[in-house]
Amino acid sequence: MSGALSLARRAGIVLALPAALIALWWVTSAGSDSFYFPPLATILHTFVTLWLSPDAIPNVVPSLIRFAVGYFAAGLIGIAVGIPVGASRKLRQTLEPVLEFLRAVPPPVLVPVLILFAGIGDEMKILVIVFGCVWPVLLNTVAGVRALDEVLEDVVRCYRIGRMARLWHFVLPGASPQIFTGLRQSLSVGIILMVVSEMFAASNGIGFALVQYQRTFAIPEMWSGIILLGLIGIALSLVFRAAEAWLLAWYHGLRRTQRAN
Amino acid sequence: MLEVKQLRKVYDGAGRAVEAIRDVNFKVGQGELVCIVGPSGAGKTTLLKCIAGLLAPTAGGVILEGNAVHGPPPAMAVVFQEYGRSLFPWMTVHDNVALPLKQKRMTAGRREELVSNALAAVDLANVHGAYPWQLSGGMQQRVAIARAVAYEPHVLLMDEPFAAVDAQTRADLEDLIRVLWHKLEVTVLFVTHDIDESVYLGQRVLIMSHAPTVIMEDVAIDLPDERTQLETRSLPRFGELRKHIYSQIQLAKQGWRPPGT
Repeated sequence: MSGALSLARRAGIVLALPAALIALWWVTSAGSDSFYFPPLATILHTFVTLWLSPDAIPNVVPSLIRFAVGYFAAGLIGIAVGIPVGASRKLRQTLEPVLEFLRAVPPPVLVPVLILFAGIGDEMKILVIVFGCVWPVLLNTVAGVRALDEVLEDVVRCYRIGRMARLWHFVLPGASPQIFTGLRQSLSVGIILMVVSEMFAASNGIGFALVQYQRTFAIPEMWSGIILLGLIGIALSLVFRAAEAWLLAWYHGLRRTQRAN
Repeated sequence: MLEVKQLRKVYDGAGRAVEAIRDVNFKVGQGELVCIVGPSGAGKTTLLKCIAGLLAPTAGGVILEGNAVHGPPPAMAVVFQEYGRSLFPWMTVHDNVALPLKQKRMTAGRREELVSNALAAVDLANVHGAYPWQLSGGMQQRVAIARAVAYEPHVLLMDEPFAAVDAQTRADLEDLIRVLWHKLEVTVLFVTHDIDESVYLGQRVLIMSHAPTVIMEDVAIDLPDERTQLETRSLPRFGELRKHIYSQIQLAKQGWRPPGT
């Protein structure tokens, strides 16, 4: 009973501000005859007809596939490179200046460059996403591997645990809290780059559609696309949090007991 | 079966070398329980890590069952001081005990049998599915002992394993070590800073000098084999041995060294 009640209260707290903002938008825009700021009712009506119909599939699905491929590739590359770099001080010292430089390059500026040799197809857009998403994962993996417990390291050696088992049962889980921090940062970077990469040169995608609406002064359509991106961001972040809660259950439990003591 | 011969360890720091161990020599017979006791800063952990093959000595060496130790030997298991850091927090108690066995060639049935027997031997048969951080400190250290026991070592090294648990738990764990030692007929080398503990547990007590370490004395503990916390500790002989070792440790703290070292 009290559990259900507190759940309802938590939901109330979480949803209160969004609900208030939406209400404010609704009321202030209700009678608007401004061309650029149409009433929210109009925007929502457009949203339903535009994005909740089969016509949306040719734009939404390619965007999400490119995002997923780019994001997962960046995650794999970041972890695969981060582990040896984190484990070796020499490698770290050699690579650090280069990594810092590459990380400082804003990924969108690569779009014109990548168009030159990767064309304007999916490859270019995926590469832009990979380039932006790989750094948070890589740098956090390096930090996670460096911070592995030296007592556990001794345990691994003393019980003669082999290379693969060491990687799978010690290095990866030990660094996983930091790896997840990196993946979380990359998630929002990836969504931004998904849209940006479609704004330059594309024939489909949500970003492409947004630019088309803006150029043809289809203002309610443009606003509805922005709402769609926000909702996709929320959905992805909820999926991510569920995955993290499941895979890092041990870590959150450990932290709770450490705080209690 | 275990011989430490002219062992010397010098740490090469930035520009200055620190001599931790000067010349340590002793032998441990098959099935013996030997305690090493020394003042803090005597290089106890350094010595144990050299014996465990986790640290390369500067000179001299360790011979286990006729073979020189150049890395962790398969016939040796170590219980570390920091119970909170020596178990994998992302694995259940069962998996912590089973992981080293997966590196050995044996059937899954045999492995399960060893895990169950080891956990039963430390009185933890009912916590297979728990995570280490869900257990008390004493229970966590018993899991670490079970992991070592399941590994079926010929030599069990223990590095101040009970330094971080409360007095009551400590007494229980000391009795557990005596019981396991009798039952498994394993050779035990037990490092501690606690004089009472060394007398209560050991058949012999090796007294370490202050760093750079040598063995000051090899004391035979001529107490009855049947030991109980209440009776053994109130024997007059216990008091004498305790007093003798205590005064030797005091000398060690003041920097006294055996002549010629």
